[in-house]
Amino acid sequence: MPQADQKAQNDRRPTDAGLKPMTVEDESTLRESLKRCSPATIEAAIAYRKTNEASHLPAVIIGVIERFVEPDLRAKLKEADDELRLVEDLGIDSLTMMEIVILVEDVLQMQINNEDLRNLRTVGDIKVFIDCKVRGLPPPRPTKFLPIEQIVSVMPIQAPFLFLNEATLSGGGAQGKYKITGQEFFLRGHFKDNPVMPASLMLEALGQLAVLYLLEGSSPDEGKIVDHTKIFFTSCEGVRCHRICRPGDLLSLSIKPKRTKMPLATFEGSIRVGQDKAAMAEEITLTFAYVDAKIIDDQVDSITANRSAAPQPKAASA
Amino acid sequence: MAKVYVTGLGFITSIGNDLSTVAESLKALRHGVIAYPPFAAANIPVTVAAPVRGFDTESLDPEDWTYPERYRVKREYLRSMGPHGLYSYCAMLQAIEDAGLSPAEISNDDTGLFGASAGSPNLLTYYVRRMHEKGVMRCSPLGIVASIAGTVQFNLVAHFGIKGASTGFASACASSSHALGYAFDEIFLGRQQRMFVVGAEDGNVETILPFAGMRALSLNPDPDTASRPFDRGRDGFVGTGGATVLVLESEEEVARRGVVPYCELAGWGQASDGHNVAISHPDGLGLANALRRALGSAGVEPEAVDYINAHATSTPIGDISEGKAIRSVFGASGARPAISSTKALTGHGLSLAGAMETGFCAVALRQGFMPGSAHLTDLDPAVADLNIIRETVTERPQIVLNNSSGFGGANVALVMRAVPSVG
Repeated sequence: MPQADQKAQNDRRPTDAGLKPMTVEDESTLRESLKRCSPATIEAAIAYRKTNEASHLPAVIIGVIERFVEPDLRAKLKEADDELRLVEDLGIDSLTMMEIVILVEDVLQMQINNEDLRNLRTVGDIKVFIDCKVRGLPPPRPTKFLPIEQIVSVMPIQAPFLFLNEATLSGGGAQGKYKITGQEFFLRGHFKDNPVMPASLMLEALGQLAVLYLLEGSSPDEGKIVDHTKIFFTSCEGVRCHRICRPGDLLSLSIKPKRTKMPLATFEGSIRVGQDKAAMAEEITLTFAYVDAKIIDDQVDSITANRSAAPQPKAASA
Repeated sequence: MAKVYVTGLGFITSIGNDLSTVAESLKALRHGVIAYPPFAAANIPVTVAAPVRGFDTESLDPEDWTYPERYRVKREYLRSMGPHGLYSYCAMLQAIEDAGLSPAEISNDDTGLFGASAGSPNLLTYYVRRMHEKGVMRCSPLGIVASIAGTVQFNLVAHFGIKGASTGFASACASSSHALGYAFDEIFLGRQQRMFVVGAEDGNVETILPFAGMRALSLNPDPDTASRPFDRGRDGFVGTGGATVLVLESEEEVARRGVVPYCELAGWGQASDGHNVAISHPDGLGLANALRRALGSAGVEPEAVDYINAHATSTPIGDISEGKAIRSVFGASGARPAISSTKALTGHGLSLAGAMETGFCAVALRQGFMPGSAHLTDLDPAVADLNIIRETVTERPQIVLNNSSGFGGANVALVMRAVPSVG
C-alpha cells in the first residue's frame, strides 16, 4: 500500500484490517457469523482476514449476498453477472441490504456509510465498492439511474427516433433498456407484414446510449462539459447480429468506453434479449466537443452561487 | 341491525395446532400442560407451563426455528417475527383456508386486521443488550419490528397485504377480546366488510415467569392439576402461548360468498374496575358492568345465555370476583348458565386468551357442545351456587358469552349466538 495513501486509509478505515494476526477465537467468531454461508465463502473470508488479499473479496461478497437471497433466486448469482440488480433481480430490499452490510462489516472488519450504500444498485457495484474500500481508495462514482423523463430532458435525439426507455450510468459504462412495442413507425415497412427491428437501428440504439454516457456519465476531461449539439457518429467496426428482434422483445443494451480523446470517443457495445446475444459492436466511435469556456465559467459561477447560499462550509482547498 | 359472523378459525395452541385437534381436546378435556424444561432450574419454583408443540422457537435467531412441515415461511418474513409472529402466521393461513378466502378477498380496502400480543420480551431484551454491547449500528435492522408490542399486526398486515383498518390492542389479558370487540364495531358500523382478529403470545420463560414475582403462577408441579379454575386447591395460573386467528365478516359477505358461519358475534361490552392495577375488583364490579353492556348490545336477556366461557385463570382472588360478577348479573333472574373455564386445559394465554377462548366458543356453537371443567374436584364453596359444569355437555348452546379481564381492571364480555341454519 503506497505511503501517500496512508491518510486516506486512516480516514476510511477506522478499524484497521491491516495484517493483524487472526486468533483462533477470531476465526471461530468469523465461522459463527458466516454459519449460513457456503463453505467456500467461509474459507474465502478466512483467507482474506489472514492475507488481506483483495482477490478473495468477490467470493466473500457473493457468498454473503447469496445467504440473504431467497433460495429460488440464488441460481442467478451463479451466473456471475456483475450487472445483476439487487432490488429488481435479487429481491433484496433496503432492509436486507442493511443485513448484508452488517455482516460484511463484521466479516471484513470495516465500516460502511449509509450514504455510500444508496449508490449500490448491482452486484458489480458492491464488488467495486468493497474493493475500493479495502484498498483505501475513494469509492467509485455512484451509479446513476435515468428514467425516461430524464433521458428525454438531456438527449439531443427525441421521439420517434429515441430507442431508450431507461438507463443506468456508472464509471465503467452504461446499461439501457428498450422495449420494442410494435408501434414504431419503421416496423410498418420493415418488413412487409413481418415486423423486425432493423439491425442498423439496434446499432443506433447503442450509439444513443453512448451519447447519453458522454453527456451524463463521466466527463472525459474533469470539469469540462460535453456540448450536446456536437456529438455525431463517426464509425463502427466488428458489428455482428445474432438474433432477430421483434415486437415484445426487451433489448438490454450495454456500452463500455474503450478510449476517449477529444474529439473521439470509442465504445464497445452489446445487446441482449434475456440471455440471448442479439448484437454486438467491437467499436462504435463518436465525435464530440466541449461547451466553450465562457459558458462553463457562467455555469460554475451559478453553481458556486447556489452553494454559498446553502449553509455549507467551504471546501478546505478553496 | 347489521350482523357480524365468525367464518374462519386458525389455532396454534397448547391443546392443538389445528381446528379438529382443538375441538377433540375441548370435548375430551385433554390439557396441554407439561413439566416445562426451561423452568427446570432449582431457583425457579414454577415447574409447569403449556407450550405449543411442534415448534422450536427457543433460539434468538429465527432462522434456527423449526416448525411443522405444512408451513413454509420465507426468511424475509421470519426476520421480523418473534415466536408468536410465526404462530400467528401459521394460524392466519389456517383461518384463511378455513374461511375459504381468495387472495382478493384478503387484500382489499374493506378487509382489516386487529392484533393483540405483549410483543416479544425475550427478543426485545436480546436486541437491547446487543445494541449496548455491539453498538447501535450493529442492531438487527428489524429487531424492533420483531419485538415490540404491535409486532403481530405489523407482520401479518404486511405479509398478507391487508389494506383496510389495522391496529393493535394492549390491555394485557383482555387485549384480544378488545380487538374482537372493536373489530365487531368496524363491521357493525359499515367501515369494513371483513376483519381478521389475532391474539398471540410467545408463551416462553420471558412472557410467563415475570408473573411469578406477583405470585400469580401456580407452584403446583403436577401438570394434571396445576390449572384448576374454581377448585378450592387452585394456587395460580399456568402460562401458555400460541396464536388464534378469527375471521369476522358482515352479513352481506356471508351471503355473497355463500358460506355457513360458525356463529354470530352478536355484541360486546366493556367496563373498568377503577380499583387496582393488577388485582380484580373484589365484587367483580367492572366485569359485571361489561356483562350487562354486552347483553344489552346483543339484545339478549340473561335467561337466554346457555354457556359462559369464564376468564377464571385459577388464581385465588380472580376466580371468586368473576363468580360474583356472574352472580350479580344472572342471579336476580334465576338464570343458571353453564360455566367453565377452558384455562384448565390450555393455561392462561394472556393477550392470546380472549381470541383463543372466543374461537373455542365458536367451535362449541358449531359442533354442539359445552366444554366441562377439567381438574375440578373440590369446588370452591364461594362459587358453589353457580352452574359450573364438570363434564363436557353434548348439547348445542344458543347463546354463549366469553369473559376476559386484564391489568388495570379492564373487562370485556363478548356475546355469540348460534346460527339458526346449523343443527
